Amino acid sequence: MKALCWMGNNKVEVHNVTDPTILNPHDAIIKITRTAICGSDLHLFDGFIPTMEEGDILGHEFMGIVEEVGKEVANLQPGDRVVVPFTIACGNCEFCKKRIWSACDNTNPNAHLMEAAYGYSGSGLFGYSHMMGGYAGGQAQYVRVPFANVGPLKIESDLPDEKVLFLSDIFPTGYMAAENAQIQENDTVAVWGCGPVGQFAIASAFMLGAARVIAIDRFPERLDLARSIGAITVDYSGEDVSVLTALKDLTGGIGPDACIDAVGLEAHSAQLQGIYDKVKTALMLETDRPSVLRQAIQAVRKGGTVSIPGVYGGLLDKVPFGAAFGKGITMKMGQTNMHNYMEPLLQRIEKGQIDPSYIISHRITLEQAPEMYKVWRDKKENVTKIVIDPWAA
Amino acid sequence: MSKALNEKPNAKLLPASSSAGVILNGRYLPPPEDKDGKIWIRTSALVQADPETLYEMWRDVESAPLWQEQIERVTRTGETTSHWVMRSGGKDSGGDKGKNKDKDRTIEWDSEVLADEPGRRIAWRSIGGESENAGEVIFEPSPSGRGTMVTVLQEFRMGKLASVWETIVGRNPKQAVIEYLRHFKALAETGEIPRTEGQPHGPRGKIAGIKRSMYGEEIPTPPARKAS
Ligand SMILES: NC(=O)c1ccc[n+]([C@@H]2O[C@H](COP(=O)([O-])OP(=O)(O)OC[C@H]3O[C@@H](n4cnc5c(N)ncnc54)[C@H](O)[C@@H]3O)[C@@H](O)[C@H]2O)c1
Ligand SMILES: [Zn+2]
Ligand SMILES: [Zn+2]
Repeated sequence: MKALCWMGNNKVEVHNVTDPTILNPHDAIIKITRTAICGSDLHLFDGFIPTMEEGDILGHEFMGIVEEVGKEVANLQPGDRVVVPFTIACGNCEFCKKRIWSACDNTNPNAHLMEAAYGYSGSGLFGYSHMMGGYAGGQAQYVRVPFANVGPLKIESDLPDEKVLFLSDIFPTGYMAAENAQIQENDTVAVWGCGPVGQFAIASAFMLGAARVIAIDRFPERLDLARSIGAITVDYSGEDVSVLTALKDLTGGIGPDACIDAVGLEAHSAQLQGIYDKVKTALMLETDRPSVLRQAIQAVRKGGTVSIPGVYGGLLDKVPFGAAFGKGITMKMGQTNMHNYMEPLLQRIEKGQIDPSYIISHRITLEQAPEMYKVWRDKKENVTKIVIDPWAA
Repeated sequence: MSKALNEKPNAKLLPASSSAGVILNGRYLPPPEDKDGKIWIRTSALVQADPETLYEMWRDVESAPLWQEQIERVTRTGETTSHWVMRSGGKDSGGDKGKNKDKDRTIEWDSEVLADEPGRRIAWRSIGGESENAGEVIFEPSPSGRGTMVTVLQEFRMGKLASVWETIVGRNPKQAVIEYLRHFKALAETGEIPRTEGQPHGPRGKIAGIKRSMYGEEIPTPPARKAS
């Protein structure tokens, strides 16, 4: 089959590789019909996540048709149409039972690597470094899905792929971000980043009762999308714009009730701070560039909540923890507990409450993916989301 | 009992001494120190199964190769004794770098069960052969009421066994114990052991060669079930 492989920093290539096979009794093989490129893939592309190796197959947002099932998968049959969550969960460990699926104990074959780095290991992920499982990903024509008895969501209606594909990651991720923000009716919520995760965080904040959402980014097409679903936008790159001042101005001086960091470790910053983080990461004194997290902590109102769906990987510097403590804020974060949200969000899509395909800007073939990774990284061509048909020529 | 605090509706009675020496008179005790060529490892896992089931699984020594890395065969030789065979050459995985001349080499030893408390504890030691090791495993209901805390305390004398793990599997023997308990838990909870060995990938570069021992794709994962 054809698969998109990570071949080093800033280098991905399409290669012909062997087809995946069933390796465990709860596996399924899926023929992929649509797959997407995620903001998280950029952290791999840019070399921020350790334990990537040449030849690793990328991709964790995909859906398709069940081709074959292992002998202990009773819930799926060849021919079923499914969306697959990017976190792999066993369904039986202490954490799965607590519905903290992304903390599953039993799905990371390389748990020892993550334990060495973080103390504990989370669940295995598709196409997201050896430390996080080393599973071949789904920017490919076929994929092996472990614990297919637990993860995949069957799509029984005739909704087109594009409307349900984002149940594989970013819609649930945006939703969990809003849930983690502990939104009360009529709250004001600020969202940094109007990429796909930010978009669904904005949409979900409204669904959960926010009166006002303030969306922050610098790309006009992304800010346009945010306004199209009802947010007030702040272009942080505008001359004389201070995000902190803007958020005070828009909240009567108290700050947003909740702040959502939908940017993560590669936040862009034009200011002195940005240069500081650049130097520090170059010297390996810091691994992440937390300029958005710093702002979110500073901006949130006293007793408010900071929710962090944006990915962080290592050590952060100059995080204003004194402000966090002084204001008595709550912080919630983590990989999305996918399995809690897929079914209820599918129902919202089926009822027509949201059409997640509104964020798609590019539809491409697998062969075009290497070029499009660069476009996606540089946010060129008004890109807002790229969907791949791995079978299109 | 205590006079200062009389409200603790869910507190569990503390044992005077807990198994594997984790608690003594209310104090936590660290694992024994490595010395005189002897190394110790104590590790534990919370497993969602009852102690009896886990005890049975562990006591079935002939099934150990299903979840212990590099153990090729265990044969029961008596009520309390067994013979262990461990691969000391790399396994021919049929993968990229399968050819390993030494793949048929093994080290062997005999083992004897010293204590056998059904549903609670098993202790063992080697009684001759190419490895000197001893250990115990304890199964205790978790204070949460959810699952069983499985604690393994094992000691090795550095020798062939330890060096085999280091050179072939790329693990020190302490990590090997952590991994076999991890596999045991996965098998008990899910009926399988997560694996990536044999999955597709693109052309591998040089780096993968050096770090191969760290990745599941390269370390032979125990089979979890008998070949059918
Ligand atoms: N928690 C999870 O499980 C999970 C799942 C998916 C994605 N993510 C993470 O969410 C984040 C966003 O993903 P995405 O797909 O939307 O990525 P993306 O790269 O498309 O979007 C990030 C957006 O942040 C904006 N941005 C950068 N610096 C900013 C700043 N200083 N202030 C305001 N906005 C700024 C960018 O302009 C861009 O529009 C990534 O870190 C991704 O890894 C997390
Ligand atoms: Zn993603
Ligand atoms: Zn689990």
